[in-house]
Amino acid sequence: MYGVVRVLVYTAGPAQLRGLAGLVAALGASEAFALTPGREDEVAQHAYGVFNRVYRVDAERLTPGQLAELLEGLYAEHQPDLVVGPAVKDGVDAGSRLAARQSLPMFTEAVSVELFDGGLRVRRQVLGGRAMAVLESGLPALVTVKPQLWEEKAPSETGAEISTVKPPAALVEEESWEPKKREAVDLESAEVVVGVGRGFRRKEDLAMAEELARLLGGVVGASRPIVADYGWLSEDRWIGISGKKIRPKLYIAIGISGTPQHMAATMDSKVIVAINKDKNAPIFQYADYGVVADLYKFLPVLIEKLKEKLGK
Amino acid sequence: MGRYGASPSLHGTLWQPLGAVEGSVAIGGVLPSMPLNIAVLVKASLDPNMIRTGSDGGVDAAATPLAISEYDKNAVEAAVQLKEKHGGRVVAVSALTWGPSARKRKELEQVIREALAMGVDEAHIIIDDALIPGDPLLTARAVTALLQKLGGFDLIITGEASMDMISGQIGGRVAALMGLPFISYARSLEVDAGAGVVRAVRDLEESLQTVKAKMPAVVSVTGEANKPRIPTLLQIRRAMRKPVKTYSLSDLEVDSVAKPRLVEMKLIQVKRKNVIIEAETLEQAAEKLIEYLEQEGVLPK
Ligand SMILES: Cc1cc2nc3c(=O)[nH]c(=O)nc-3n(C[C@H](O)[C@H](O)[C@H](O)COP(=O)(O)OP(=O)(O)OC[C@H]3O[C@@H](n4cnc5c(N)ncnc54)[C@H](O)[C@@H]3O)c2cc1C
Repeated sequence: MYGVVRVLVYTAGPAQLRGLAGLVAALGASEAFALTPGREDEVAQHAYGVFNRVYRVDAERLTPGQLAELLEGLYAEHQPDLVVGPAVKDGVDAGSRLAARQSLPMFTEAVSVELFDGGLRVRRQVLGGRAMAVLESGLPALVTVKPQLWEEKAPSETGAEISTVKPPAALVEEESWEPKKREAVDLESAEVVVGVGRGFRRKEDLAMAEELARLLGGVVGASRPIVADYGWLSEDRWIGISGKKIRPKLYIAIGISGTPQHMAATMDSKVIVAINKDKNAPIFQYADYGVVADLYKFLPVLIEKLKEKLGK
Repeated sequence: MGRYGASPSLHGTLWQPLGAVEGSVAIGGVLPSMPLNIAVLVKASLDPNMIRTGSDGGVDAAATPLAISEYDKNAVEAAVQLKEKHGGRVVAVSALTWGPSARKRKELEQVIREALAMGVDEAHIIIDDALIPGDPLLTARAVTALLQKLGGFDLIITGEASMDMISGQIGGRVAALMGLPFISYARSLEVDAGAGVVRAVRDLEESLQTVKAKMPAVVSVTGEANKPRIPTLLQIRRAMRKPVKTYSLSDLEVDSVAKPRLVEMKLIQVKRKNVIIEAETLEQAAEKLIEYLEQEGVLPK
């Protein structure tokens, strides 16, 4: 398309290869190489045909430092025009190190990536998600993206050649590792989401939101503090630029102030309702319907009325 | 505290044996066994809650006020807490990345004063038009050069990402340029001064990972790492007397480079109905809300 474009892809785990292969295909790269940790069978399953070679690191997972070190070796060998990684925490960490060592411009979590003659144009959300920035740079450069955004473009055929490499020693040593609790809720495809924020004073009080969600056939999501500070709900219920993006028909935000970092991930909702006791809360600017009320007084009434209405 | 300018020792040879440095004595007057030299990287970010736009919906960066980046406050708090526990000093380092610099440097100074009021001992800031608008590649080089010039840090702490550009690169870039271990997204952090080790819990998407690294090291902290203190009026007043030193890129012997072009930055427009439901009673409000939701066709059938 634009002459020879050579891409080096890296991941924190083989499943991310799918979306990144999709981006490689969309860019029309002439050559592509991928680096991923993971088990042999998993990697084989994701060794998409767009890759000239997949370098499999013989480890379940890598520290970002190890990933960066391996990437540097491959960077020197293949001299890519573009390095593409996953916009996850370890992916951004590893990318920032490679970018510094190789003097590359880097764009974190691009939502679009285009190549033009000799250059790269990306769009990314900035200012807590309130604004979209367009940036252009020369090549070589590094971008991280959410792999999900390109999964549909992923080629179906696999069978790229796989070479196995050994992980290097780590400067930062892992002492323990503990998976987070999951509840298998799918916020991203839910039709109705009831969002809870710091207006709730105790974990038990979330039962009101759960009841409301149940009546409406929806699921409960939350602002960052509810998940990350208080640990009242699991990570997969976190709505916002650093959590999940939702696109329901109805989003009811309760006791949430409406900061840009939260609201940016709710923009695709069809209808937004806000319940907040502060009439000046920014959430009302983002809402179709607002109720200025104490949630502790209003929710029981709303739940009763809904039960009457829906005959439940 | 010596007033800035009166103290040539600020230049380069900052790290005297700590017992000799004013203000570094630990609580109770007992000198701790291994005081820490900590640098905290603080950004004056465009405030996402105060965005000003031009007529085309483009963000008017010049008119949008700067504020201390949310998670850099957590970095300051983490640094000050470590100082309180182990003794030592905390230095803030910041680079101005929004212009016009003549106006914005005042706002940067405000941001720095806030960090000083929280317990940072002194600040070093980089002001140079070549850094505006900011790009992590050049900013990280400038910050690294300044950290190397000051020298002798055990820990360099920053926030996981700035609240304006959300790139999350500075910690990793600085660590890589300095050849130091980097621990990103720490939600808790402690120092074993005797062993010269920093230990942290990294808060990742799917897991919590406890890691350790030899100091010196670079750490980025998340918003959950602590609750940043709110300085008292007295602390704010005292912060006015703490030293702040300014550098240009040439002072740091950093060459400017071609940066990515910020072609545009536009507000994402939201069109919402903004109906506030007015009613005498909560019952009536609930009924009205249900009516609206039915009209919208979003209630279960
Ligand atoms: C880089 C960055 C990334 C971030 N990412 C995210 C993210 O992904 N998701 C996210 O959510 N946040 C994120 N944040 C944090 C965000 O800025 C806010 O701190 C957070 O969203 C606030 O949560 P909240 O609205 O629940 O709490 P608050 O802002 O404290 O709001 C609580 C609201 O509840 C109302 N209230 C209190 N009591 C009652 C009551 N009895 N009845 C009714 N209303 C009541 C109050 O009026 C207030 O408006 C991020 C921040 C940064 C800087």
